[in-house]
Amino acid sequence: MSEHSLELKGSLFPLSVLHCTDVSVSSLEPLLSAKLAQAPGFFYQAPIVLNLQDCQQVPDFVALKQLFVALKLVLVGVTGASPTIKAAAQDAGLAVLQAGKTASTKANEVPQTAISSQQLAPSTMDSKIVEQTVRSGQQIYAKGADLIIKGAVGAGAEVIADGNIHIYGSLRGKAIAGASGDTSKRIYCFNMQAELISVAGNYWLSDSLQGEFWGKPACIKLQDDTLVISELV
Amino acid sequence: MAKIIVVTSGKGGVGKTTSSAAIGTGLALAGHKTVIVDFDIGLRNLDLIMGCERRVVYDFVNVINGEANLKQTLIKDKRVDNLFILPASQTRDKDALTKDGVERVLTELAKEFDFILCDSPAGIESGAMMALYFADEAVVVTNPEVSSVRDSDRILGMLSSKSRRAEQGLEGIKEHLLLTRYNPERVQKGEMLSVEDVKEILAIELIGVIPESQAVLNASNSGQPVIMDKDSDAGQAYLDTVQRLLGETVPFRFLTVEKKGFIKRIFGG
Amino acid sequence: MSLLDYFRSKKTNTASTAKERLQIIVAHERKRRSGPDYLPQLERDILEVIRKYVDIPADQIAVSLEQRSDELSVLELNVTFPDDKR
Repeated sequence: MSEHSLELKGSLFPLSVLHCTDVSVSSLEPLLSAKLAQAPGFFYQAPIVLNLQDCQQVPDFVALKQLFVALKLVLVGVTGASPTIKAAAQDAGLAVLQAGKTASTKANEVPQTAISSQQLAPSTMDSKIVEQTVRSGQQIYAKGADLIIKGAVGAGAEVIADGNIHIYGSLRGKAIAGASGDTSKRIYCFNMQAELISVAGNYWLSDSLQGEFWGKPACIKLQDDTLVISELV
Repeated sequence: MAKIIVVTSGKGGVGKTTSSAAIGTGLALAGHKTVIVDFDIGLRNLDLIMGCERRVVYDFVNVINGEANLKQTLIKDKRVDNLFILPASQTRDKDALTKDGVERVLTELAKEFDFILCDSPAGIESGAMMALYFADEAVVVTNPEVSSVRDSDRILGMLSSKSRRAEQGLEGIKEHLLLTRYNPERVQKGEMLSVEDVKEILAIELIGVIPESQAVLNASNSGQPVIMDKDSDAGQAYLDTVQRLLGETVPFRFLTVEKKGFIKRIFGG
Repeated sequence: MSLLDYFRSKKTNTASTAKERLQIIVAHERKRRSGPDYLPQLERDILEVIRKYVDIPADQIAVSLEQRSDELSVLELNVTFPDDKR
């Protein structure tokens, strides 16, 4: 058997996102400290992404990184940044994460830090179309797009999309919609027998899918942070 | 120009070698010059099932390494005209089968044979991948049993993405489902997956259903491919399968519970 | 032997055929594994030489190496010639 010393795989991790308009260390420090004091253990060494959608000037990333280290947080990257801010972030060694082509609803929030996941309005996206059954062991990722599968998804297969997932067949494998965090995305299939379904990081295993919807056409969406399954007529 | 057919499954022990031997023999009996190639690396099985284990001098790897030519290596079947066997090597070197080497041998075989049947080993490692790489058609051998079905699904994924046809954007490998060890009584009782169940999950064309049969063990004991046991259910089912492979439409037999007569019930059918 | 046994035993006993075949081939393979490396190739080379003169199938030739004592090892060659080509 040939051995690989290195394997690159796609994976899904929920990340906390910090929205702020004022990214100066002086204003951020007291607010963040206060927030952390409410639940110090929870955020210990938590990976954080900075949403800089509403940020006008280029932040001092070096100082920000030092602040995060001092607060025992891990600044992983930025999102929603303008091209200039993006470039500065990359120079500072931070990752630039793509949120999808939608606007945040927290546009005019006062410099109040909110540790929450993004709420994105529903949007139209490109579609990636797969015209055959997805076999066990295969993985399909529709980046920044909806995924439409004309066929079944076999047990042991994974279909992932930043957008919605439509399966015109049986779902026996894993389906992960809203992979970048969009909670408005949904999963549709003709025959629900999934190993795992997930919307924006919230997931159910097949145990939770047993019951009246198993083996039937179904739709899964996220409602108020809870997964909801309904029958597809 | 020869047609290369791979007999594969993913799961082990489902009947690949039994089926390769039977189908290869069937094709030769139908008048086509056929060679069956054992792609296992290290464990040689085809020669035993075909009954020619004492006539193996050189093997596949010897030919690839230039230590012997095909004429010295190919074993001609004693019972059936037009039928030859290329035995596997007993080396433990998993890299012994190189893509170039296999391609050279298959190209040379293609010059004089109508059908090249590649008997794949189990798994998805190099022997199995090499067996399917150059195929034009595939017979996916599956038992009506959960791990076999899932492994067959995996192999189907490989056939559609890891073959030469897939890599070069040519027309895909033609996939056929061969369901083996089928037991209609247990299917009727709801204890075994039915033909429809497996077809629905794997979504490929059915080429044959081989019933669970005592004839298979008798055949391997004697070193005679089961298709030559014309009175047996398995033998007949393989004959039907070969006909379908050659393009004929043959109704499927051995799918329902047979009503055994009094004598058969006492002495076993 | 009961009456039923009489009817049943009419089918050939394939298990004994299998046992015979296995005994021969396993013994052959074990010898190869324990003998010196050159033995298989030696066997093939001898076969090729003999074939130049007589057309003999591979299973009619057997080569074996036996260590009789510390100083004596015996290379045994068995060739069965086909009847009509004496």
